[in-house]
Amino acid sequence: MQPIKMLVDYIDVRLGVRDLYTKELNGYLLPRNVNAWYTLGAVIVVLFILQILSGILLLMFYVPDAEKAFTSVQYIVNEVPFGWLFRMLHAIGANVIVIALLLHMLSVLFMGSYKGRREFTWLSGFIIFNLTMGLCLTGYLLPWSQLSFWATTVATDAAGAIPVVGDYLVEFLRGGPTVGNQTLGRFFALHVVGMPLILLGLIGVHLFCVKRRGISSPPFGAEYSGNESLPFFEHEKHPGGIPFFPNYFVKDTAVICFFIAFMLAIIFYAPGLFFPESAFQPADPFLTPPHIKPEWYFLWAYQTLKIFPSEIIGLGVQGLFMTFLALLPFIDRGPERRPGKRPLFVTCYVLGILIFVAISVWGHYS
Amino acid sequence: MSRVVIWSFLIACFFGLSAPSVVIAADTVCIECHGGQPGSLGVPVADWRTSIHSENGVSCHDCHGGDPTDFAMAMSPEKGFLGAPEYTDVPAFCGRCHVGVSDAYQAGAHGQAIESGGAQCVVCHGNHAIQKANLDLINEEACSQCHTYERAALIRLSLVETDTMVAKVEHDLDRLYRLGFAVDDMQGTLFSQRNLFHQIFHGVDVERVRAETADIQAELSKVGTKVAAIDSTVGQRKLWGSVVIALFVLAGVIFLLVRKAYEEEEKG
Amino acid sequence: MTTQVTPPQRRKFLFIMLAGIGALIGAASAWPVFRFLSPSDAGSGSDQVLMPRSDVVAGKAHFFQYRGKPAVVLQPTPGVFVALSAVCTHLGCVVAWQEQAGEFLCPCHGGRFSAEGIVLGGPPPKPLESLAVLLDGDQLKIG
Repeated sequence: MQPIKMLVDYIDVRLGVRDLYTKELNGYLLPRNVNAWYTLGAVIVVLFILQILSGILLLMFYVPDAEKAFTSVQYIVNEVPFGWLFRMLHAIGANVIVIALLLHMLSVLFMGSYKGRREFTWLSGFIIFNLTMGLCLTGYLLPWSQLSFWATTVATDAAGAIPVVGDYLVEFLRGGPTVGNQTLGRFFALHVVGMPLILLGLIGVHLFCVKRRGISSPPFGAEYSGNESLPFFEHEKHPGGIPFFPNYFVKDTAVICFFIAFMLAIIFYAPGLFFPESAFQPADPFLTPPHIKPEWYFLWAYQTLKIFPSEIIGLGVQGLFMTFLALLPFIDRGPERRPGKRPLFVTCYVLGILIFVAISVWGHYS
Repeated sequence: MSRVVIWSFLIACFFGLSAPSVVIAADTVCIECHGGQPGSLGVPVADWRTSIHSENGVSCHDCHGGDPTDFAMAMSPEKGFLGAPEYTDVPAFCGRCHVGVSDAYQAGAHGQAIESGGAQCVVCHGNHAIQKANLDLINEEACSQCHTYERAALIRLSLVETDTMVAKVEHDLDRLYRLGFAVDDMQGTLFSQRNLFHQIFHGVDVERVRAETADIQAELSKVGTKVAAIDSTVGQRKLWGSVVIALFVLAGVIFLLVRKAYEEEEKG
Repeated sequence: MTTQVTPPQRRKFLFIMLAGIGALIGAASAWPVFRFLSPSDAGSGSDQVLMPRSDVVAGKAHFFQYRGKPAVVLQPTPGVFVALSAVCTHLGCVVAWQEQAGEFLCPCHGGRFSAEGIVLGGPPPKPLESLAVLLDGDQLKIG
C-alpha cells in the first residue's frame, strides 16, 4: 500500500485531490430517501460514452459516400472481426439511450424535481433529449439502406409544410432537390462531429446545474419538506445525507450493469428488433419500399401528423406541445411536489403517457 | 429560447408526413377501363389483382401489349396490342419472359403434343389469377383432365425432396439476410439452381428429373453447409454473449448487496 | 443468525468478487476491440508476384507491391532481371530510380544504391533487400 499512498501524496500536494474527494465525492451528500430513479443520469452518461467509443471504431471503416456507404457497413458487419458487435452496440445502444432518457424525464416529471428554481436544469436536459433525437435521425441515414434513404426523404419532406419557405427549406436540409450524396455529407458531419460536440457541452451545463443548485429530494415520506422561495441563490444541502461516493455510487453502478445487460440481451437474443427488412436493402432512389415507418420514438409524431387535416396544423400542435414541455418549470410554479397533492398534474401525466403509447401503437399498425 | 425549442423539435419530428406507399404497378388505362366493366371483360382485372404478377409489378400490357397510356389507341395493333393468344400460341406468349422453362417445356412430351391438345401453361397454372407455383399444381384432378395420374404422381414424388430442400434454403437465407449477413453469393446459387430445377421438370420426363436433380441437390447442400457454418457462428456468439450478460447481471446484483451493506451502516 | 459479519467485512468480500468479475468483463471488452483493430490479412498480399516480362523495360524501373510494401524490378542489361525492396534501409523512404546515372537515390537523405541494391553513398547502413526473380516464358515470378 505504501507506493500507492506515495503516488496519491505526490498528486495531492499538487492538485489537492484529497480535498476534492472529501468535498465533492464523499462529502457530496444526497437526501436520505434518494431512490433508484436517481441513477438514470449516470446510466445515460455511460451509454453516451459507449456510443462514442463504438462510433469511433465504426468510423475507421465507414465510408460516407453514397456509392460506398452501404457496402462499407456490409463490410463492417461481415468481414471485420467483431464489426457486427460494435455496429449492433451503436444501433441498439441508440434505442436504449432513448429509453433511458424517457425514463429519466418521466421520473423527474413525476417527482416534480424540475421545481425549486431548477428551470435551467430542466431546459438543458430537454435540449439534450431533442439533440439526441437529432443524432438518431442523422445516424439513421448513414448506412444508406432503403430504410435510411426513405426515412430521411419523408422526414425532410415534412419541412415542406411550412408556408412560404417550406420548399426551399426542404432543399436546404437535403443540400439538393432530393436526398443524395450532399445529404449524406452534411448528416455525416453533423452526426460524428457537430452534434456530439454540442451534446458534450450541454451535458456539462446540465451536470453543472444539477451540482450547483443541489440535488432535489424525492417528494415521498416524512422527510419531505416544501421548497421555500428565498430572494437569493441558495445551494440545496442535505445535512446528514448519504455520501454520493462510495455509498450511492455503487447503486449507480448496479443500475448501469443492468442496463448494459439489457442492451446485450437485445443484441444477442433479439438482434432484429429494431431492423425492418428495408434496413438490409441498399438505397434505391427509384423504388419506395412499402410500409415504411419511422423508429418507435418518432411514431407519435408520425401519427399525429396523419391525424390532423393539414400538415401545418399537425406540426403546429406538436410544436406547441413540445414548447409547453420545454417551458413547464416556468409555467408550473406551485411549490407542491408530492404527487398525492397534485391530482391534476398526475392525471395529465398518466393520460399523457397513455396517449403517447396509444398514438405510437396506432402509428405502428396504421 | 422557445424558438430554439421549436426548431429543435421541428428537426426531431421531420419524420412526420404520411409515408407514401407507392403502388408498384401503377393504374393504367387498361385497368381504368376494364376494371369497371361487367362480366368477362372486367373479371381479368380482379383476378390479376390477386396474382403474383400484380405483386411483382407485371401489368396487363407487359403480356398483352398495347399502349397503357393512351385511351384511344391502347388496343391498337399498331401500338403492339396482342390480345388473347390462341391455345397453341400460349407457350410462346409466356415464354417471352419465362425463357428457360419454355424451352424445356417445348422439348418435352407436353410441348410436343400441343397440336393434338397437349397441356400448355395455363392448363396447369391458370391465367390472370396466377400464383407462385408449387408442387400442389401436380394433382390428380388437374392431370386427369388429359391422362391418368400414375406418371405424374411419379414425377411429383421425384420432385418432393428437391422442392423441400429449395424451400428450406430459401427460408434459411432469408433468415440470415434479416440478421445482416451477406448472402448474395448463396442467393445467386439458389436462384440458378431453382431455375434449373424448374426447367428440368417442365420436360415431364421422370428419368431425366431423377438423373439431374442429384446435381441440384449437391449444389443446394453446399449452400446448406455454408448456412450451417454461419448458424454455428451465431450460436457461439450467443453463448459468449450469454456469459457476458450473466457477468453484468451478477455484477449488478453484487453492487446492490454492497449498497445494502452501506444502508445498514447508514441506519445504524 | 450464525457468526456476526460486519458490513465493512461483507463489503470487502463483495468488492473482491467484483474485482474478479470486473477483470473478466474487462477482458471480454478488450478482446473484441483488439481483434477489431488488428491488421487485416488482406493488405499483405501473396508471397509471389507474377507480371508480364514486357512491364519491365531494359534500363527502366518498374515499381510494384510485394507483401504490402513497395518493391522494384529492373532490367539492367537485356535479359537480366533484378528485384529489390524499394524501401531505403536508412529511415524507410521509397528510393527513386535515376535512369541517367543507373542508380537509386533516396529523396529523404540522399542515400545512393547501385542497380543491384549495394550502398554507394549516404547514410543507409545496409544494402536494399534483394528478392528472387525467375523468368518463366513471358512471365516474371518474383519472390
